[in-house]
Amino acid sequence: MNFVNFTWMILLPLAGAPLIYLLGRIGILRWPGTLGPGLARWVCAAILLAAGVVFVQSALTFNQTSIQTFTLGAVNLRLDGLALLISGLALVLGFLVAIFSGPYLAGEDDQEKYYALLALLVGSISGLACAADLFNLWVWFEAMALSTYVLVAFYEARPESLEAGVKYLVQSAVGSALVVFAIAAVFAATGVLDLERIHTVARSSPLLLGAGALFMVGFGVKAALVPLHTWLPDAHSQAPSGISALLSGVVIEAGLIAMLRALGALMGVSLIWGPLLLVFGAANMLFGNLMALRQNQVKRLLAYSSLAHVGYMLLGLGVSMTFGLANGAEGAFFHLLNHGLMKALAFLSAGALLYALYIAHDEHRPLTVEDLAGAARRYPLPTFALSVAVLGLGGLPPLAGFMSKWQIFVAGFQTHDIRIYALVIFAALNSLLSLGYYAPIVNRMYRHKASPRVLEGDPLPAIMAIPLVLLALAVIVLGILPNLATWLTAPAAGSLLAVLGGGG
Amino acid sequence: MAVVLTLMTIALPWVGALAVWLIGDARSRLQSALAVAFSAAAGLVSLALIPYATGGYEFSVFDAGEAFGRFTFAPDGLGVYLAVIATIIGCLAVVFSLDYMKGEHQLGRYYAFVLFFVGAMAGLVLASNLFLVFLFWEITALCSYALISFHNDDPKAVAGGIKALIITGLGGIGLLVGALLAYSYLGTFNISLFLQNAGQMPAGALATVAFGFLAAAAAKSAQFPFQTWLPDAMEAPTPVSALIHAATMVNAGVYLLARFYPAFAAVPAWRITVISIGVITALMAASMAVVSNDLKRVLAYSTVSQLGYMVYAIGAGGIFASQFHLLNHSAFKALLFLGAGAVIHATGTRDLRLMGGLGRAMPVTRAVFIIGSLALVGIPVLNGFWSKELVLEAGFLGGPLWAYLLAILTAGLTALYTYRCLYLVFYGPSHGKIPPHDAGYAMRAALYPLAIAALVTWLLAGPFSRMLAASLPFHEVDLLPTWEMAVEVLSAPQTFLALAVIALGLAAWRWRERLSPVANAFHGLAQAASNSYGFEWLNRQVVTLTQEAGEALRSTQTGQLNWNVVAIAGALVLVLAIVILGSVL
Amino acid sequence: MSWNIGVIVLAGILGLLGVGLYGLLVLRNLIKVVIAMQILVKGAILALVAAGAAQDQISLGQSLALTVIVADTIVSVVGLALAVQVRSHCGTLDVRALSRLKK
Repeated sequence: MNFVNFTWMILLPLAGAPLIYLLGRIGILRWPGTLGPGLARWVCAAILLAAGVVFVQSALTFNQTSIQTFTLGAVNLRLDGLALLISGLALVLGFLVAIFSGPYLAGEDDQEKYYALLALLVGSISGLACAADLFNLWVWFEAMALSTYVLVAFYEARPESLEAGVKYLVQSAVGSALVVFAIAAVFAATGVLDLERIHTVARSSPLLLGAGALFMVGFGVKAALVPLHTWLPDAHSQAPSGISALLSGVVIEAGLIAMLRALGALMGVSLIWGPLLLVFGAANMLFGNLMALRQNQVKRLLAYSSLAHVGYMLLGLGVSMTFGLANGAEGAFFHLLNHGLMKALAFLSAGALLYALYIAHDEHRPLTVEDLAGAARRYPLPTFALSVAVLGLGGLPPLAGFMSKWQIFVAGFQTHDIRIYALVIFAALNSLLSLGYYAPIVNRMYRHKASPRVLEGDPLPAIMAIPLVLLALAVIVLGILPNLATWLTAPAAGSLLAVLGGGG
Repeated sequence: MAVVLTLMTIALPWVGALAVWLIGDARSRLQSALAVAFSAAAGLVSLALIPYATGGYEFSVFDAGEAFGRFTFAPDGLGVYLAVIATIIGCLAVVFSLDYMKGEHQLGRYYAFVLFFVGAMAGLVLASNLFLVFLFWEITALCSYALISFHNDDPKAVAGGIKALIITGLGGIGLLVGALLAYSYLGTFNISLFLQNAGQMPAGALATVAFGFLAAAAAKSAQFPFQTWLPDAMEAPTPVSALIHAATMVNAGVYLLARFYPAFAAVPAWRITVISIGVITALMAASMAVVSNDLKRVLAYSTVSQLGYMVYAIGAGGIFASQFHLLNHSAFKALLFLGAGAVIHATGTRDLRLMGGLGRAMPVTRAVFIIGSLALVGIPVLNGFWSKELVLEAGFLGGPLWAYLLAILTAGLTALYTYRCLYLVFYGPSHGKIPPHDAGYAMRAALYPLAIAALVTWLLAGPFSRMLAASLPFHEVDLLPTWEMAVEVLSAPQTFLALAVIALGLAAWRWRERLSPVANAFHGLAQAASNSYGFEWLNRQVVTLTQEAGEALRSTQTGQLNWNVVAIAGALVLVLAIVILGSVL
Repeated sequence: MSWNIGVIVLAGILGLLGVGLYGLLVLRNLIKVVIAMQILVKGAILALVAAGAAQDQISLGQSLALTVIVADTIVSVVGLALAVQVRSHCGTLDVRALSRLKK
């Protein structure tokens, strides 16, 4: 067996998951207290770091013209630009979350399962990104979904957490089932499952049109397209904050990428996919922002804001699919990266505050906006981090969100289509609207008069600060030098456009 | 050399902001010393840039890729003089803050944002790339928001900050659209190339760019119909009001119009729209200043009104007149605001009805306030007189008669509200507490230079026009030596007309008791003016509607699993229908 | 003959899809919801096998179906485990009682 380099990136976390679980269990049995779960955590972090090294190596040797592939039996993997982007994001965020979750989960049961599932999640996202045929795509998609079902309902003694988990599981499973129907339809119509080959043989037929619709709705549940999103506010707010960060930061994006891969293969079937994405994008933006405006709980607000940001990505991708413009895809992928970083930063800072204000006292209540009053005095770092994240999400310079939104808007205007101009203006207005709920949070945190919860809060463990500092730096640096990310986003856009080259 | 100076003008305040923030609030004296040092350094650097502002010179820092363009800067006359204003007044505001903000909390955040703002403003006027202009535009909006809502515990301040952010952001969309349209047709973000090739764009696209930029400028400079944010922005600490909302950020709109005038002058209906907006704003704001009882609001409305004059001048083609008035206005308005700051700091109130008779206790403040008032009203020898007359002359020659008449009327109203303000604060019986002492040393250190500026900046007319003419190849600026300008103004019949109207305005206040029947006749109008002619109501309606829309949507999140699955099934049916329809049609 | 089987299979697929979706829309008991989900997925599995037959790649169709069966089983196990937890911590299996999180 000849393992090509990049597959280690997927294999290490996958194989590591049971190892983490075993070592964690052994650790807990031998050394009761904090040391046991600590073993699981550090093994998890080490594995993700090792996978990260493989990623860096693959990135350095990446060549757009000769893409690495790997085939073993039914497993079919391709490391193209898009795969590089998503795996990289998943590995970075996964590693930071692993470090962050140490103190956050201290004292909870089943921590070794958490870290094992975390590794499984990261591994399956990388696998999904590299999948080269439809069925592989679905299998990795299912693996990813499975690992998240348990992670969302992690606090299994709490009814709200279980409720979120149940709804998420049922709706996600419905989506997966629809995808299998779609795969069956594609198989019946074309006889092949390899994504590139489908693209060459697919011609318009009712079966394939149905398949495309099923792909869009099926993967759309995971990608949180409105109105398929109803599981999202509950799942993202009830999960432990590290998992919320991953869910908003990579998991819904992975669903989006899966949809793109599937629809990309069907580009020859119809030209409607791009415009449909634009319609969904508009719905997501408006709905996400209006719902977030009325939220009182911080994590729920951030969850709804993820809907809006998926909307911006859909705008860029839709423009790219309909008009074939590189900037659209590049901007959308840049926004995917930035949103991942910013939303993770937001959830981790909110999580840090949630930890200090509630969890450290063994209370499990949601963090509300009122609780944040005056947080700046006692918790300057999480406050600053949350401000950077939130203002970046609102699209203010010099932060990363401004740069990626600009690039998407550039693409929108390059279409010279007045309907797209209107859509871009609509997106800009939505961005402004989002400031209406982001800015008050920042203002509240920098008040002089602190809320009672802040005054009684515990100090923050130092290790939680590390992910916050790193992510905040990344958001600021990308906001000043946007072309630092071009080595990731341009190949990703290239791989998407290569598929679209025939249609649109 | 020009490259280094230009970049330092932008970078020095930013480094200072970082330094001030990192030093921390515990070491407050070091913090304020650093703030003063960096802002002063920036001022010196920008002054050093003046000899290099000969125009036509452009340099690029790096290429940020296709979607962002080359980051180019062009230190020409128009940009450099505004950068000088921003940094110098920025430095004076920081110095003034040493006294004004003494004892406040989180001063690191204050000084950092002030410095960050100064650098961004310098970047805005020195940039030669449309993307960069938009970038700095939005950064100044961020800083303005952060500084207005500096006192986060005051809900009025927070509301004012967010309102400013959103309204100027709304206008910013106009700039965004214009920049993107220009790029999509011309393939470049470079401003000089845009000015050269604007004619090659389709007429409709160019008109959209022109009106988009006009909307952005109107929002930033608080012109009609975007003027509602500026009065609420007065919740900011007064040095911030002086710097951002009198002397620099609000100038950005006027700058934008001036910079792009050559490209848009030929767009049908553009110039008359600019003139209309300018003159309507000037009159409306002046009328609101007459009835306001808040000292800072009077000055805020006055700023809006004077900006209206500048916009009016641009529309009429008087680029030099508008920029000259901008220069002078920055000086005397900053002076007035800082003087007001001294008064507010001493009496603890902004309400004019609680002041009075302060002249005895605060003679220095009264003296500088008088100087600023004379300049604002447009009394000869002070800088405001010369530039206001030039504006009126340009408007008379380049614009319609009705606009000119409204502008003259506004001059009279300006005299009226300024005298009223001066009187209510410093003269007459005292209605409130008498302050124990006059403005502090740091405050005076900031006030004196501005007072001198109000007396002498008009002498720079000659060199100023030379600088503008040399560095703006696409604009048609005539050379105008100072002596010629003085003669021209003093001999023009419009000047005497204006002076007469101003005298009438002053007299109206003086004889207000005798004129009270006349005042009562205008009572309805006065009511409307103090209600901002319905614009505040409009603002509130928009906000309420949005909130209600959000609230209404909440019922879609039923929490019931069965309904959620209904949504999925429904979406599937809808998508299938669209896909089938799409293939059939 | 094959035309008949094709129609029967298609009817079967659509029937399973319909019953499964209907169950998810209407049923209240969490266990029944999980079963309805299983029915839905069985429809998909049948579709895979049918597709394999239609394309004359019966073994590929079957192996795909087998993989889906395995994955679906795991999902159902997780779902039922959650149901057990719901029963013990919420005291009921009624899906309508699980609606504390809304708006």
